Amino acid sequence: MSSLYERLGGEGAVNAAVELFYRKVLADGRIAHFFDNVDMESQIAKQKAFLTMAFGGPNNYTGADMRNAHKRLVDKGLNDSHVDAVIENLNYTLRDLGVPDTEVKEVAALANSVRDDVLNR
Amino acid sequence: MTLIRHEGGAVDVAPGETVLEALLRVGVNAPHSCRAGNCHSCLHRAIDGAPPPESQSGLTDAQRAMGYFLPCICRPKTPMTILRPDDLGASLEAIVRAIDPLSDDIVRLRVEAEGFAYRPGQFVELSAGEDLKRHYSLASHPEEDAFLEMHIRLHHDGRMSRHLAEELQAGDKLRVAGPSGSCFYEGVHTDQPMLLIGAGTGLAPLYGVLRDALRSGHHGPIRLYHGARSGKGLYLSDELQAISNARDNVDYRPCAFDPAAPHGGDVAATALDAEQSVSDAAIFLCGGENLVKRLKRDLFMRGASLKNIRSDAFTPAR
Repeated sequence: MSSLYERLGGEGAVNAAVELFYRKVLADGRIAHFFDNVDMESQIAKQKAFLTMAFGGPNNYTGADMRNAHKRLVDKGLNDSHVDAVIENLNYTLRDLGVPDTEVKEVAALANSVRDDVLNR
Repeated sequence: MTLIRHEGGAVDVAPGETVLEALLRVGVNAPHSCRAGNCHSCLHRAIDGAPPPESQSGLTDAQRAMGYFLPCICRPKTPMTILRPDDLGASLEAIVRAIDPLSDDIVRLRVEAEGFAYRPGQFVELSAGEDLKRHYSLASHPEEDAFLEMHIRLHHDGRMSRHLAEELQAGDKLRVAGPSGSCFYEGVHTDQPMLLIGAGTGLAPLYGVLRDALRSGHHGPIRLYHGARSGKGLYLSDELQAISNARDNVDYRPCAFDPAAPHGGDVAATALDAEQSVSDAAIFLCGGENLVKRLKRDLFMRGASLKNIRSDAFTPAR
C-alpha cells in the first residue's frame, strides 16, 4: 500500500493545493486576522510546510517547533475554533481538487494530530 | 569536508551533513523550523560558490539567480561563502556623477561604482557616513549605463535628503552595499503579460524593470501604472509616454490624485479595476508599504500566483 503522500500526488499535489488553501484562509473572516501583518511570501512557504505535513509527506517537525511557531498566536487568542476553521478550509481545498473522501479524512486526521502542540497545551 | 565561510568564521561541513546541521553544531544560532526544505525559515544566500541546485528547490527564479538556498537541505560539495538573507555584505566606493531634479521634490542621483553587479529594479544600501544609510532602488541598466541611478524623494526634515540637497556634489564619495531585492526581470516569459504598478519613487525600480524587459525582447503586453499625489509628481512622464507611443506592447497609465478622475486618481483602485484577469501576469509592485500590501493581497485573491508577484515596499527611514 502506497503512502498517503504518494496517493495524493506528492510535492506536485502540495503545490497545486497551497495557493488555493491560502486564498480560502485569507477569505475566512474567522481566521484571516491572524495573517494581517505577516509577509505573504514567508507565510506561503509555511503553509506549504503545513500541507506537506498534513499530506503525510517528508517533514521533521517536532512538537516543540509547533509550539514555538504558534505561541505568539495563542497569546493573541488562537483556540480550538480557529484550528477547526483551518481544517475545514483544508477539507474544502482538497474537495475542490477532487481528492476522494478517504484521503480527505486522513489529511484532516494528520492536521488534527498537531492540535495540542499548536495550541501550546 | 567542505568549507563554509559564515559571518567571518569558517565552518567545516562533514560528508552527508547539511549546512544547517553544521551551523547548529558549532553553536551558530541559525533560524530554522521544518528541516525539510519547505518552510524557508533557514534561508541564506551564497555570495561566493554555487549552492547545489537541490538546495534551491521551491525558491523563486529571482531568489535562485541571487544565490539564495535552504541550508536545511544543502549538502555542499564545494566551498561557499554565505550570508543571512538580510545581510548586504561588504560595501563599495561610489563616486557622485550627477544630482538633478526630476520633480518638485524628487531628485535623480547618479553614482559610479566600479564592479558593482546588479539587476535593474534591485535596491542598494547607500551610505553617506556610518550612521546615514538608506535603501534606494536602481532605475539604471548595467549594460547601458556607466552609473547607478536612484530616484530620491527629498523629505523636509530627512537627514539624507538635506545631505543630498545641500551638501553633496559631483565627485564626492559615497558607499553602496548590495544589491538586494527580487524585483527584477527574471523568470518572466517574453510573451507573458506584465503588470507594473508603483507610486512615487516606486517608479525607479519599475523603470529599470521596463527597460530590462524591452532589452530582453519582451513582446507580451506591458502595462505600467504610476501613481502620484499630484500631476507634478508624475516624473519621467514624457519619456514613458514616448516609449508607450513607440511600442505597440507598452501602455503607460499615469494616475494623479484628483477628485474628478475615476477612482479619485488612486493608482491601486485604478489598476485593480482595469486588471480583472491577472492569473497569467508577471506582476511588479513598488511603493509605500500599505500600497504594496493591499495590491499584493488583492491580486493574489484575484488569482495571481504569489511566485509571479515581485514586490518592494518602501519603509520610511527610522
